[in-house]
Amino acid sequence: MRFENKSVIITGGGGKIGKAYAMAFAQEGAKVSLPDAASADLVVKAIKDMGGTAISMNCDVSNEKSVKTMVDETVKQFGTIDVLINNAAYFMTVWKGPFWEMTVEEFDKAMAVNVRGSWLCAKAAVPYMQKQKKGKIINISSNVALTGNPNYIHYVTSKGALIAMTRAMARELGDYNICVNTVSPGFVVTEGRQVDPAYEKVRAQQRSIKRSQVETDLVGTVLFLSSPASDFMTGQLLNVDGGFHFV
Amino acid sequence: MRFQDKSVIITGGGGKIGKAYALGFAKEGAKVALPDIASADPVAKAIRDMGGTAISMACDVADEKSVKSMVDEVAKQFGGVDVLVNNAAYFMNVKKSPFWEMEVDEFDKAMAVNVRGSWLCAKASFPYMKKQGKGKIINISSGTALNGGQNYIHYVTSKGALIAMTRAMAREVGDYNICVNTVCPGFVVTEGRQVDPAFSANRVANRALKRVQVENDLVGTVLFLASPESDFMTGQLLNVDGGAHFVG
Repeated sequence: MRFENKSVIITGGGGKIGKAYAMAFAQEGAKVSLPDAASADLVVKAIKDMGGTAISMNCDVSNEKSVKTMVDETVKQFGTIDVLINNAAYFMTVWKGPFWEMTVEEFDKAMAVNVRGSWLCAKAAVPYMQKQKKGKIINISSNVALTGNPNYIHYVTSKGALIAMTRAMARELGDYNICVNTVSPGFVVTEGRQVDPAYEKVRAQQRSIKRSQVETDLVGTVLFLSSPASDFMTGQLLNVDGGFHFV
Repeated sequence: MRFQDKSVIITGGGGKIGKAYALGFAKEGAKVALPDIASADPVAKAIRDMGGTAISMACDVADEKSVKSMVDEVAKQFGGVDVLVNNAAYFMNVKKSPFWEMEVDEFDKAMAVNVRGSWLCAKASFPYMKKQGKGKIINISSGTALNGGQNYIHYVTSKGALIAMTRAMAREVGDYNICVNTVCPGFVVTEGRQVDPAFSANRVANRALKRVQVENDLVGTVLFLASPESDFMTGQLLNVDGGAHFVG
């Protein structure tokens, strides 16, 4: 039970990857807070059913007031914040197309949710971490930032921005003993996700470990970065993609 | 007990960093083999004294025959090889000089121990990992490969070679479910090590976490990479230096 009574926020906790993180933290004793623009109620129920502690709340991470309310409510219920996982992202419903046809509104939405949202959550959580002189922030990037996948320039760019943001945050927070790291997942075939089988086969072939990536493949790394085992690691990019990209 | 009854080889297991890894694994139930060109007897004894299982053996990692007999002996005693930590290195007594004054013998020695040695240990361990359809290889590089430490070009170069070797190995052994990753430590002030205080202060100032790095700072990452938690991570460089360098 590495996270007994730790307070862990997982933004986008209602999604499938968010759920995988949430279940794993809960299984190791953490109290998990699952803000989501949609609902994370089902994940909360799953955790409570197995005897764990979880709360969900509606939150728009791109909105400072909404984020602050969410963080303060988490602290009110759980006492503090030990770990923040910036997992929420504008992704599943992004508009796809060449960048020269993308509208400013669409571009701004990805940057607002994925980049500003991660910063706002960190901004709101950090005072509590500073107070206890300890904390872990994990920004979830994507290896599309390493590959430069075409046709969603806003998403790719936003995920690259997180890698740089992690580094600057790590330097700003080092004196408070707060570690900030990035996890970069490969293409995850979440439960029930419809993917083109031919393309998925190509992706598997590009990996050292030639199989589809699933959400639970990420859990170990996220928990490691949240645990004392990684206390001297900060500002780093941990790429979990079955050995496709080497950074 | 994440490593209950696992067979773990830590080359250079008699050194201070090797000892920290060995104790970390032993505390989690592993049987540890500690080949070293010097003696790892005190480390093996420390582990046995706490009720663990450890063997030490003389081994020159640069020599294929020596490596093969070491690995075969470990497999015989422990029933396989689950984890290989390529930690042995020609480092503490390297001859420091500008590269234009370095002798070929000196250069070759670093490459033979640090690069060829890591390859040979992986080569000898591979058949056992292949047989069990699972394995973890961890190559210990160094932050000097990222910042280009001065006056030991052979050491810096050898540590850079390991980063590339890790990637090629990861691709070659992926089909056997063997993961290969690199850990890149910063400047570690091991217990009792004499360091220039000004140099050390400079190192500390460059980090996000402004303190001296010690051998225990590396243990968590090495154990993570040796555990099932990192089963979909291979070919990667994990830099543990308190946030001095950011790679990628």
